[in-house]
Amino acid sequence: MSNNKIIDLGSSEDPLVLDCGKSIGPIKTAFTTYGELNETKSNAILVCHALTGDQYVASEHPITKKDGWWSLLIGPEKSIDTNKYFVICPNVIGGCMGSTGPNEINPKTGKEYGLDFPVVTIGDMVKAQKLLIDSFGIEKLFSVIGGSMGGMLVLEWLSKFPSYVFSAIPIATTTNHSAQNIALNELARQAIMADPEWKSGNYNIENTKPVKGLSVARMAAHISYLSEQSLHEKFGRNLQNKNKIEFSFDADFQVESYLRHQGFKFVDRFDANSYLYITRAMDYFDLKAENNGSLIEAFKNTNSHILCASFTSDWLYPTSENKVIIKAFNALGLNVSFVEIETDNGHDSFLLDEPEFFQTIKGFLDATYKKL
Amino acid sequence: MSLFNTDRDFSIISKMIPSRSKIIDVGCGDGSLLDYLIKKKNIDGRGLEIDQDKIRECLAKGISAIQGDADIDLIDYPDKSFDYSILTYTLQATKRPKKVLEELVRISNKAIVSFPNFGYWKIRMSLLLNGKMPVSNELSYSWHETPNLHFCTIYDFIDLCEATDIKIEKKVNLKKNVIQSYNNKEWFENFFSGSGMFLISKK
Repeated sequence: MSNNKIIDLGSSEDPLVLDCGKSIGPIKTAFTTYGELNETKSNAILVCHALTGDQYVASEHPITKKDGWWSLLIGPEKSIDTNKYFVICPNVIGGCMGSTGPNEINPKTGKEYGLDFPVVTIGDMVKAQKLLIDSFGIEKLFSVIGGSMGGMLVLEWLSKFPSYVFSAIPIATTTNHSAQNIALNELARQAIMADPEWKSGNYNIENTKPVKGLSVARMAAHISYLSEQSLHEKFGRNLQNKNKIEFSFDADFQVESYLRHQGFKFVDRFDANSYLYITRAMDYFDLKAENNGSLIEAFKNTNSHILCASFTSDWLYPTSENKVIIKAFNALGLNVSFVEIETDNGHDSFLLDEPEFFQTIKGFLDATYKKL
Repeated sequence: MSLFNTDRDFSIISKMIPSRSKIIDVGCGDGSLLDYLIKKKNIDGRGLEIDQDKIRECLAKGISAIQGDADIDLIDYPDKSFDYSILTYTLQATKRPKKVLEELVRISNKAIVSFPNFGYWKIRMSLLLNGKMPVSNELSYSWHETPNLHFCTIYDFIDLCEATDIKIEKKVNLKKNVIQSYNNKEWFENFFSGSGMFLISKK
């Protein structure tokens, strides 16, 4: 059973003003919730998804029919116990699972936005999330939690709406993309745009689908989510259903076959233009630059209880990037905790079954809840 | 390491710290000392600890703790971030004890430091009579597996402070459980104390 809901927020008279200067309103936000909001509205946890995540955090995905992407972490009697907490997970704007984004209809033209959709930022996504939180009448979120791009959204909440955040868990994230991060995203975008089926973003109107471009984008990204060690252990140089190499360009190696599978599986559930928009938002995110080079300035009004976590084998958002954030929090004398989880699973670790990571989150949340 | 006398040390540390102080416990372990001080003195506490399992225990107690290494991560704290820093029985396990002490008095107004005293007569006797590195309840590791890198005596500690920018403000007589002002080295303290505890600051 899906608990997906879609809500209109703002209006044409009172639109969401985006960082690029354009306005959209009303905006649609698709979201799921789990558990019950208590009477004092003090038990809400906002979960922020990553680049290719969506609102199906702890319920079955309507397309893949798989469990929610954090269903190991969130649910009744799980580390984030939905008998106790009220979990809200919205699809970001610019996304493709029901929230306002490039594949939705532009109310002004009655046609799909495509590339007419304004370029949105992490800040815009959070402004939209804030409207959703307001619609519940929640004045303080007990916690805001997310990994990767979700972590950026958490940091943005801490910076822009500090009084709304009692506690925060930014995981495997950064306050700004490195040149390497941008380069990897650019590779993905170019793969999509190089696909002739992309049709300058008008593939839905022209009834095509840039399947190849989007799947190559996913393949490249997927490599960055894993570690060398985990790839080596999973696949090594093993051949795919054959005993010897075939002197061809078929998928001789298991790792090739695996990546192709990841790519093709992805295009069923994700929109190519959304991929362009969301990666752009991540690249533009820079809390340091927008605060005159000072992260201390960025978080100066923050008074939240914070838990940061990184993973030893994550080379996309390595521990060193996460420690930059810790340093700023420490300089502000905040209640900040930090763990570096030892694992070979790379950046993807935050989505996998990492019992120590889950226990850390549970201990932090339950102890912090007592401080409300 | 089985820690000397936890109750005694906790209570004497608590006596040295004013209520509502902002404190960092470097090598905070499972956060017991911070927990004690929060309950007893309503302090605002932070921990730094290298062992992740211990960090989890801190978090479950509601104590903020950062996974890190005293040798590496103290430099990330601005000057005078804390009223007090505490380093209990950890100095001997650091790679650069001098640097760590200098960092402690930089990031806090005052620092409380305790360490096992290798000038203690029982340790001297053990080495003299057995001709082997001392192993006792307090120093329970064999030489080849000990995490302790830099043992010192109370004399050595005082000499180091004098040679650097560190002022010894108080000494703790752990036997009598009293805090005393520090004037000079006392040979009998170096001889009869199983461990040393000092309150230090920047000169």
